[in-house]
Amino acid sequence: MSWDRIDSPRRPLLVAALTAAALIAAPFVLPWLGAAPNTVNRILVWGLFGIGFDILFGYAGLLSFGQSALYGTGGFVAAYLLTRTGFPHVVTALLVGMLAAAVMGYLVGLVALRRTGIYFAMITVAIAEMFYFVEFNPLAEWTGGENGLPGVPTPSLSVGVTTLHFTSGWALYPFLGFCYFVGIVIALRIVRSPVGVVLRGIRENPLRTAAVGHDIHSYKLAAFVIAAAYAGFAGGLLGVLQAFMPPEAFTFETSGQLVIQTAIGGRGMLFGPLAGAALWLFLQDFLQGPLGLGATWKLVLGLVFVALVAFLRDGIIGGIRNVYRLVVRRKGEKAAAIAAPVKTPRAAAPVYVRARAGNGVSGPIMQTIRLTKHYGGVAANEGIDFSVEAGEVRGIIGPNGAGKTTFFKMLTCEVLPTAGTILFNGCDITGMGVTEVCQLGLTKSYQVNQLFNRLTVRENVVIAALAALRGKFRLDVMRRLGSIPGLDERVGHTLELVGLTRRGEAPVAQLAYGEKRRLEIGLALASSPSVLLLDEPLAGMSPSERAETVRLLKSIGQDRTMIVIDHDMDSLFELAERITVLQEGRVLAEGRPVDIKANAKVQEAYLGGLNGNPA
Amino acid sequence: MITWPNFVSQLFNGLALGALLALIASGLTIIYGTLGVLNLAHGAMFMLGGYAGFAAYQASGSFIVAVLAGAVALLVLGLLMERVMVRHFYARPHEDQLLVTFGLAIVIVEVVRWVFSSESKTVTPPGALAGITPLGFMLYPTYRLAVVGIVAMALLVLFLVLYRTRLGMIVRAGIEDAVMVDCLGINVDRVFMVVFGIGAMAAGFAGIVNAPIVSLTPEVGEAVLVQTFVVVVIGGVGSFPGAVLGGLVAGEIISLTSMVNPGYAYVMLFAAMTLVLMMRPRGLLGAQGRE
Amino acid sequence: MRNQTSAVRRDGRRQFIRRGLLLAGGLALPGLPRGAAAEDHPPIGTYPAGVQGSTVTIGIGVPRTGTYAEQGEDELKGWQLAVEHINSGHPLIREISPKTKKGVLGKELKIVVADSAAKPNDAVQAQQRFITENKVILMTGSTSSAVAVAMNKLAQREKVLYVTGISGSNDTTGKDCVRYGFRQNFYGETAANAIGPVLLKAYGKGKKMAFMTPDYTYGHTVTKSTSEYLQEHGGWTMVTNQVSPLGATDYSSYLTNIANSGAEVLLNVNWGRDAVLSTQQAKQFGVIPKMKLVIPYQIPFLAKNIGAELAEDVYAATDFWWTLEDKYPLAKMFVDAFRKKYGYYPEWGAENAYASFAMWADAVEHAGTFYPPDVIKSYEAGRKLQSMVGEVYFRKEDHQLVRPVVIVRGKAPKQMRNKEDFWEVTEVVAGAPLMQKPDAFGCKLGDYT
Repeated sequence: MSWDRIDSPRRPLLVAALTAAALIAAPFVLPWLGAAPNTVNRILVWGLFGIGFDILFGYAGLLSFGQSALYGTGGFVAAYLLTRTGFPHVVTALLVGMLAAAVMGYLVGLVALRRTGIYFAMITVAIAEMFYFVEFNPLAEWTGGENGLPGVPTPSLSVGVTTLHFTSGWALYPFLGFCYFVGIVIALRIVRSPVGVVLRGIRENPLRTAAVGHDIHSYKLAAFVIAAAYAGFAGGLLGVLQAFMPPEAFTFETSGQLVIQTAIGGRGMLFGPLAGAALWLFLQDFLQGPLGLGATWKLVLGLVFVALVAFLRDGIIGGIRNVYRLVVRRKGEKAAAIAAPVKTPRAAAPVYVRARAGNGVSGPIMQTIRLTKHYGGVAANEGIDFSVEAGEVRGIIGPNGAGKTTFFKMLTCEVLPTAGTILFNGCDITGMGVTEVCQLGLTKSYQVNQLFNRLTVRENVVIAALAALRGKFRLDVMRRLGSIPGLDERVGHTLELVGLTRRGEAPVAQLAYGEKRRLEIGLALASSPSVLLLDEPLAGMSPSERAETVRLLKSIGQDRTMIVIDHDMDSLFELAERITVLQEGRVLAEGRPVDIKANAKVQEAYLGGLNGNPA
Repeated sequence: MITWPNFVSQLFNGLALGALLALIASGLTIIYGTLGVLNLAHGAMFMLGGYAGFAAYQASGSFIVAVLAGAVALLVLGLLMERVMVRHFYARPHEDQLLVTFGLAIVIVEVVRWVFSSESKTVTPPGALAGITPLGFMLYPTYRLAVVGIVAMALLVLFLVLYRTRLGMIVRAGIEDAVMVDCLGINVDRVFMVVFGIGAMAAGFAGIVNAPIVSLTPEVGEAVLVQTFVVVVIGGVGSFPGAVLGGLVAGEIISLTSMVNPGYAYVMLFAAMTLVLMMRPRGLLGAQGRE
Repeated sequence: MRNQTSAVRRDGRRQFIRRGLLLAGGLALPGLPRGAAAEDHPPIGTYPAGVQGSTVTIGIGVPRTGTYAEQGEDELKGWQLAVEHINSGHPLIREISPKTKKGVLGKELKIVVADSAAKPNDAVQAQQRFITENKVILMTGSTSSAVAVAMNKLAQREKVLYVTGISGSNDTTGKDCVRYGFRQNFYGETAANAIGPVLLKAYGKGKKMAFMTPDYTYGHTVTKSTSEYLQEHGGWTMVTNQVSPLGATDYSSYLTNIANSGAEVLLNVNWGRDAVLSTQQAKQFGVIPKMKLVIPYQIPFLAKNIGAELAEDVYAATDFWWTLEDKYPLAKMFVDAFRKKYGYYPEWGAENAYASFAMWADAVEHAGTFYPPDVIKSYEAGRKLQSMVGEVYFRKEDHQLVRPVVIVRGKAPKQMRNKEDFWEVTEVVAGAPLMQKPDAFGCKLGDYT
């Protein structure tokens, strides 16, 4: 098995080696291209700053315009130690600065991450501006105000008999190159770790990532802190590079430049910010210098930026990578083009089920007591008493607007009930939250597919499986995915259950609709829930697909409790042991399928009248 | 210093500051409310309106012509921008929309810098409005008073368009539910284009009207952009009355904080915005569920 | 097993890194110039690499955009004129630097220019590039003292000489002084001590004063020096100090506070375009002429921008004003040459720029070499120099030029003899008594090498 990913390198060792080679070759090659050492050094610092930002934006999808706050914090703490307190050791000061920035990132993240999307972006803008102001004014004693902190020393390293002084220009380059290299190696590890996978899930579909059992807020915070640490270290390097820590590190322009560079270079590939910085600084030097265009260089840059965002979404590096892909076609994609037929999976030994059917737990496995939900004046659900025994397959039907989906949302704690209680295995789970509830063993498959669209089938299931194996949050950033015990087995078993084993490497976008629905169910199954809710699993399917899916559901239902909503009553009556009928937010009837079919009230609810009178 | 006369003066000054912010913010809020796009080029549009007006002023010598030029130029630019660029980004994730408008902002600023150079340009107010008006508690530049009046009129016109015309009704419906409007068979593409144009025009109009108060440089838009965000957040996204109220509140926050310590004035704005985003994200007058 | 192999891989990587680092460390040498040192001086900074050929380069970082752009362009003209004159051995240069024949030590001067936008970061970046690529032997440029302070530190680190452009903060030759930095123009302390008595004489004692201060080192030190003088010697009280950020465009909040403060005199320390806007708006809010306006540190082109009516009767302290051509022969030569080349009367930024280069040429000629420590000692020798404002000399303890401060007062429009005759020079105050004791501001010059 291999964790092949679109944006995660196949062979990290190869990437690291190539990076090292390029870094070593640069001082010999670049001068021929007319690159000044200071420019190259600056590119490295921006590149390092960008690695962290790329993890935050490219991998986790959080666009922050406030990274300058952390960049400046790290830089100024390091510079302060080195200039005002006479702290002797440069590298240690840089690490202290990085730590300070990480702590600050944690605090800022607590505030900023309470909102998402555009609001998150706006909060980060406000925070950046506030940091700049605070640095400038109240803290001017420590930060030197608008003067910044001059006199930052450069590092020296004693190796045995001699001391290496990294001073400036090409003499400083090895130090910066080494820092960048270390930064890349660590980042490669992070993005290939389980945390990195979850971050990608958050980027693609935060709702589902939470629903499969991950504490997305904590992961976002972790990404934020990682980005802050990189920013802080890079800020310290800026001070060393210039012998002077400028207040400009805190400005909104700095954050903006980082965003633009990352977008130009390509997000989600770690090297994007380096490429973007190279282009930016190169244009700045080249257009101002030899071409003498003066201030117009920024116009050219702006046009390039807009063009790239519009047409080349993946940036420069992404563009190169896409061209490479076109040239070197991957066999896996070709083979996966053929849709695999559904094989009704043999009843595999139920190794992973949490609560076995009928294992002697007394009382219903799931129960609601007078569950109510009001939206303004509308009562979506009113006083619903409902209970399901362990191992049962229950169907829920009702005309449109009966409140079925709302009911499900409350069961999985996506929505807070207005009144009433929900019990799961005897515990009160009312108001717990999707993530906790999933960890307890209750999951849902959605009516509208909630998949991780840009990932492969296998990767989708891995994200779900990771939550089951690691709990809702674990900060195992350095762990290799392959070293998680039981991951492969669980993923393989889940794929087998839903008949997608042969489609593992196919990107979701290439799946047929039926396959996508099966994957949707697979995501809910991966955590081996003891209760599985299915919201209209048969919606939009052809008759043959329906039949296949019903067979699939039957086999899944052998090992667990299932509650299914659907409009296809024939299929549902075949599948379920008992049916609950909802109408206008209330329970209308409940019983065996044969009894429900004959129930007069149910007929009236659907058809509007007895004796076949048309409505 | 906190004295009664100063308080009244600053209160009044805040009104003037706030009126302008209200106008710019209403442009931003209807764009965001209807199209769902946060127009990061809004500040640049404000600046461009000023320059377009400046150029017209140089050519014609008439302030009225300058104001019209600023407004019309931005209306046209807004229509074009939506049609050519922004339209293709509705299906893309929010971040891409932010990035493209951010990029367009840079392009606009740099083009202006290229054409007009970085030197600051002054636009002199029309002679009739160039004096000082005694207000009892303070002396106030006549032009700034006039600006309050002009902006109030512009806001009134905007209000009439939004609440008394068919187009306005469609726009307000679109703010509530653009998909529904589409389903009703209304040409949503055209509506979006018009909304973007109107929003841009509001910014451009504010830009040229404000130009005689401060000098014009290519950078004036940056600060305005961030302040406008604050207003939109405080007032409530997609809400025109919210933008007006938010503008006035923001203006007063700036000027009343200045009474105590001018240095903290703008930081207080940002602190207020963060507070609102944390406590009541829909703002003072925004609709719930618009997060 | 898997764990073992990955451990081995990790170790392999570490070794690889370590080896690579050692190899790279060996490359840590390219930054230093190779080859035998010229004469018998060891290499330092850009010497002797920058003086090998027939030309030497000077790096200039000047604001060409932003709040101080107008003043920056004017300064640049001064430098360009100086370079032209030095290269050709112009008589004016020879008055200031008698040993000059053509060029400096026979080498032609070239300049490279970058836009600093008055931001220390941009200036430092640009000059670092100039050092590594052009091997500049002298750096200059500042209009903002924040830039001057940052450049001071850069000069000291890189061991390349730096002469300030315009810098008004006390700190530049005060707590932020460096061995490799020199300042020619007047600054906060001397401005305050020169203009103080004039104000007291004109307006009397016990007045209430309001300050408008830009929020950075220049603003704070000038406000401090001026307010302290007036408080100590005239019993004036500071009723408010409105601090605004550099580049602010709307002063309404500050002016409202000032209008309500009860002040009688408004001292505007804002500079560049900030000064123009704040003064114009002060008029619009009725603060002027209700209060008397004073400009403790004059700004080139201020009067032109705010207009003669606003400038009338305003007292200002400055470095130079063209009507001094009537008093000093060198001033006349300078003004004539400048007008001939550029078509307008020079402001003090240009004069300051010109003088700083001329004095550097003199220091180098007297040292007989470009070797920085020798040039520094040449400056510190305390030689009397001729300038556009009479006889001056550098003080060795803090590298500040001891020179007079010029007090001007705005002329009434009808008294102007031509379009640029804005100011009347009321007195030229001798410099030495105006300056603080050399160590009063905490100046500790660094090392020579």
